[in-house]
Amino acid sequence: MSLYSTAVKKPISTALVFLALVILGLFSLSRLSIDLYPNIETNTIMVMTAYPGASAADIETNVTKIMENSLNTVSDLKHITSSSKENMSIITLEFEYGTDIATATNDVRDKLDQVKSSLPDNVNNPILFKFGTDDIPIVILSVTAQESMNGLYKILDDKVANPLKRIAGVGSVSISGIPKREIKVYCDPQKLEAYNLSIETISSLIASENRNTPGGNFDIGSNTYSLRVEGEFSDSKQLEDIVVGTQNGRTIFLSDVAKVEDGPQERAQEAYVTGTSGRGTKYVAQQGGTIFIQKQSGANSVAISKQVLAKLPDIQKSLPADVNIGIIVNTSVNIENTINSLLETIMVTFIIVMFVVLIFLGRWRATFIIILTIPISLIVSFAYLLASGNTLNIISLSSLSIAIGMVVDDAIVVLENVTNHIEKGSDPKQAAVHGTNEVAISVIASTLTMLAVFLPLTMIPGMAGVLFKQLGWIVSIIMIVSTVGALSLTPMLCSQLLKLNPEKGKVWLLIFTPIEKALNGLDAFYERCLSWVVVNRIKTIVIAFAMFFLSLGLAKLIPTEYFPTMDNGRIGITIEMPVGTRLEISRALAIQVEKELAAKYPEIDASSFTVGQADEDNVFGSLSDNGTHLINWNVKLSSVGDRQRGLTEICDLIREDLRKYPEFKSFNVLAGGSNQGVGGQTSVDVEIYGFDFDTTDKFAAEVKSKLEALESVATVNNDRGDYIPEYQVDFDREKLALNGLNMTTAALYLRNRINGSLASYYREDGDEYDIKVRYAPENRQSLEDIENILIYNNEGRGIRVRDLGNVVERMTPPTIKRKNRERLVTLSAIVKPGYALGEVANQVQQLLSYEVDTPPSISTTIGGSFEDQQDSFKDLITLGILIIILVFIVLAAQFESLTDPFIIMFSLPFAFTGVFIGLAITNTPLGIMAMIGIIMLAGIVVKNGIVLIDYTILNRERGMSIRRATISAGRSRLRPVLMTTLTTVLGMIPMAIGIGEGSEMWKSMGMTVAWGLAFSTLITLIIVPTLYCVFAKNGVNRRRKAHAKGLLKK
Amino acid sequence: MKAVFITYDQAHNEAIVRILDKNSLRGFTYWEQVQGRGSFKGEPHYGSHAWPGMNSSMMVMTEDSKVEKLLSELKALDDSKQALGLRAFVMNVEQSI
Repeated sequence: MSLYSTAVKKPISTALVFLALVILGLFSLSRLSIDLYPNIETNTIMVMTAYPGASAADIETNVTKIMENSLNTVSDLKHITSSSKENMSIITLEFEYGTDIATATNDVRDKLDQVKSSLPDNVNNPILFKFGTDDIPIVILSVTAQESMNGLYKILDDKVANPLKRIAGVGSVSISGIPKREIKVYCDPQKLEAYNLSIETISSLIASENRNTPGGNFDIGSNTYSLRVEGEFSDSKQLEDIVVGTQNGRTIFLSDVAKVEDGPQERAQEAYVTGTSGRGTKYVAQQGGTIFIQKQSGANSVAISKQVLAKLPDIQKSLPADVNIGIIVNTSVNIENTINSLLETIMVTFIIVMFVVLIFLGRWRATFIIILTIPISLIVSFAYLLASGNTLNIISLSSLSIAIGMVVDDAIVVLENVTNHIEKGSDPKQAAVHGTNEVAISVIASTLTMLAVFLPLTMIPGMAGVLFKQLGWIVSIIMIVSTVGALSLTPMLCSQLLKLNPEKGKVWLLIFTPIEKALNGLDAFYERCLSWVVVNRIKTIVIAFAMFFLSLGLAKLIPTEYFPTMDNGRIGITIEMPVGTRLEISRALAIQVEKELAAKYPEIDASSFTVGQADEDNVFGSLSDNGTHLINWNVKLSSVGDRQRGLTEICDLIREDLRKYPEFKSFNVLAGGSNQGVGGQTSVDVEIYGFDFDTTDKFAAEVKSKLEALESVATVNNDRGDYIPEYQVDFDREKLALNGLNMTTAALYLRNRINGSLASYYREDGDEYDIKVRYAPENRQSLEDIENILIYNNEGRGIRVRDLGNVVERMTPPTIKRKNRERLVTLSAIVKPGYALGEVANQVQQLLSYEVDTPPSISTTIGGSFEDQQDSFKDLITLGILIIILVFIVLAAQFESLTDPFIIMFSLPFAFTGVFIGLAITNTPLGIMAMIGIIMLAGIVVKNGIVLIDYTILNRERGMSIRRATISAGRSRLRPVLMTTLTTVLGMIPMAIGIGEGSEMWKSMGMTVAWGLAFSTLITLIIVPTLYCVFAKNGVNRRRKAHAKGLLKK
Repeated sequence: MKAVFITYDQAHNEAIVRILDKNSLRGFTYWEQVQGRGSFKGEPHYGSHAWPGMNSSMMVMTEDSKVEKLLSELKALDDSKQALGLRAFVMNVEQSI
């Protein structure tokens, strides 16, 4: 007993089975969490280690190298790269794709424990980072303050961070840009010298004064008491009263030689924010900070952001009056807007499909039967999402939108044939069974061709694979469900609902008579066209192929890209001032720029910028380049629907504005906020490995100038930044030895005076603050100050630095980058538009091997970002070929013939023609998404050919001549072909037009499928019948000749 | 005693069983799937790709008096849905047990 006859005989069971599926889907939907992207598990771990006060070179030798050597032994490691800059060593470990990152993290932690003892004493504990999509902050808050600035860190920690951390699902809350409190003891060198004191003495005195000591237990009478000395300071003012020595019988207090300041740390990174506070007031460029809130992995971003936002008014109330909290980034808004615009797209698509079906069929009941398959198939896919642990995100919802136009195809074919049977006079039940039986095979075959396209999509490796895995599975599952539905639910409903010649109302006649007339006219017109082309076969084929080859010319006009830039309303700006610019100057200019931007662009919702050197505790600040000459912006625009100007347009305008400032050495405006992963410029990277700075720099400069001379290269970037000036003290070892000193002692003295010596910790309300002893700021401002520093030897005699060596100015690189444990410089050659990446990569390779003289100590490789794109494109092309072969196999099996699938496959080149024309007209770039669209076309466009050829063969078997069979098949199949094509093409249009947030991602795919399918269908309707005539006639001629030969032999 | 051989498009099956019941004709032999084509206009019923329709056949034994009525009702059924096709042939039964 077949599926459809069972379904028709048992309508209640059938209906209830599908109802159960829908309930299961809806239940899953209620459990699904909403997110922007599917969870992309990273394969990199970052190890950040702070060594306060050390230069890039120190960090490299003392921290980075030692750690790299140990970390290199972790298994499955692909690359190890590092950058050593002032205060900070950042090592990035890239693992092979598919490595379990949790195990890798444990391995890394073990290795770090082993190596800890070989690191210098002052090195902070290394911090491990994994960067997955789960680690992107879901909410970024801005904080501004005036009077409370000094104590802001503690206020925020207690009153904002702690309450927020208590929300279930919140992973971490980090405060950035706000200096921590520090007790600073500023000594006056002259006074120290006069009283014969040193920083070291004071530092150790403070440490020994600031101590609680338990004295043990003792008994008094029948009780036991413990004895304690509570020596810790209870107020920072008490520090001033410490006795540091005596001179001529007089007691010297700390306040006599130093001033004690209780306030924010020195040299911290400063943050300024613009936006609207929780109290509704607007502010521009106010000093403050930012708070980053991350979720726990797997938690629901939208729900958590909402809870965080709901808590903010209460938190705001508990804060001092001058502290204001505003919102810079709230991903939940972005996610909700994106999801809503997608839901809108799905609804629009649904309505469009419904109208197409209604117009062609002209019957409400038939339309209802077909439309019903849409929600059923879509809802079932939610069960898959829940079972596989996915979320409702851009990818999954877009997949639904892609599938809508295609799920009705099977139901349309079945319903059309059942209707034919009913019109012939069958009882609806019999008609449903027999009608379905006739088309079942071709319905299954066309679903198999779709599966041949979408299942391989799940096998794309790498970053793109994560995106297409869901697309592939969802569309496949939806297609399978819709086919099962078309073979059971559709015949069942037909048997119950359809009638022979139903009564037609007046309204119906009024609306559908003209439509019916138009469709009949179209049928007749198509028949006339076909009659012409089957006679003029050669002309038709020549014209069609001329069109195809002409369209190939258009391909040159189409720009290419990797991933489309999404309008997420975020802009990242980095401004670089001349190296060594003081913080005050950078800050003043930054505030000026901020004010100008705020005034000029009403679209800016909120923005924040940081300026200055990030200290060792500021994790987010340290990750990006920072320094007193660098200003980093984070701008948030209002959501897409609320503004006229697009993201790229605003970025261009900002670039114009920034160009007017002569003070800036360079600046970079990035649409989308960051340059990582997707959407960057295409470049060929030359990696130059070599230890010696001079040699590599010279070589890099030579290669750079040669690369710039190439016609195909726009600019070349060198990632080793400008050298920064540095004062170095060259001690004379002989002089040191004469005075009983050595290099380390002398260096330590310098460090304690300038960077400061950490004397002890001041404790208040359960928090610890550093007590730092050093020279007062006014005493460390000139070269003389350095030269006058007194270094004491074991005899207690002070010798000035000037007597021990020279202070000289030298230039050093700000960061030292390493890859696979070797120093490297990377030159990125940005490819000029219109040149192919591979071509440029070849030229660069040629240049490196023949035109430059590579010193023996240097090695070069070509790699970097271009490799990724190249790999992805290569993967996709391989996949495309594989898919075409699979489709051919499925077709050949269905028709049990090699010529028929060959004829059908001729629809494919014209799909390319349509794609090229469409992309060229709309100026849409060809990227990964468009490539995926083209691959999808391979499965979609052949469907029309299948229907046409299948019916032509049927006609021939029924005894018609080749020409008559072709023409009559064309006429009778025109409507189903147009109907399925229109539902798919029109279903893609809301996506191709791209309304709302996040639509950029799918725009080019929608565009590709819509244009490719529309154009290919028009050509298929002409070329496939023509080619069929040619091949069928050849077949007949061959048989006739063979027959004639046979007759002659007799 | 007459034997009526009815061969028809499957879609007619239920209607024919109803006619038999109405005429109190209890006995019949039924072949569910048979192939065939009409001598004049009748479309082939092969259950193939080109001719997907299938026929069923039935041999009904009846007293001579009931034959006329049965045939006229079958003719009416055939006339109502000419596209499907239904034919009936009456033969003599020489002997039975």
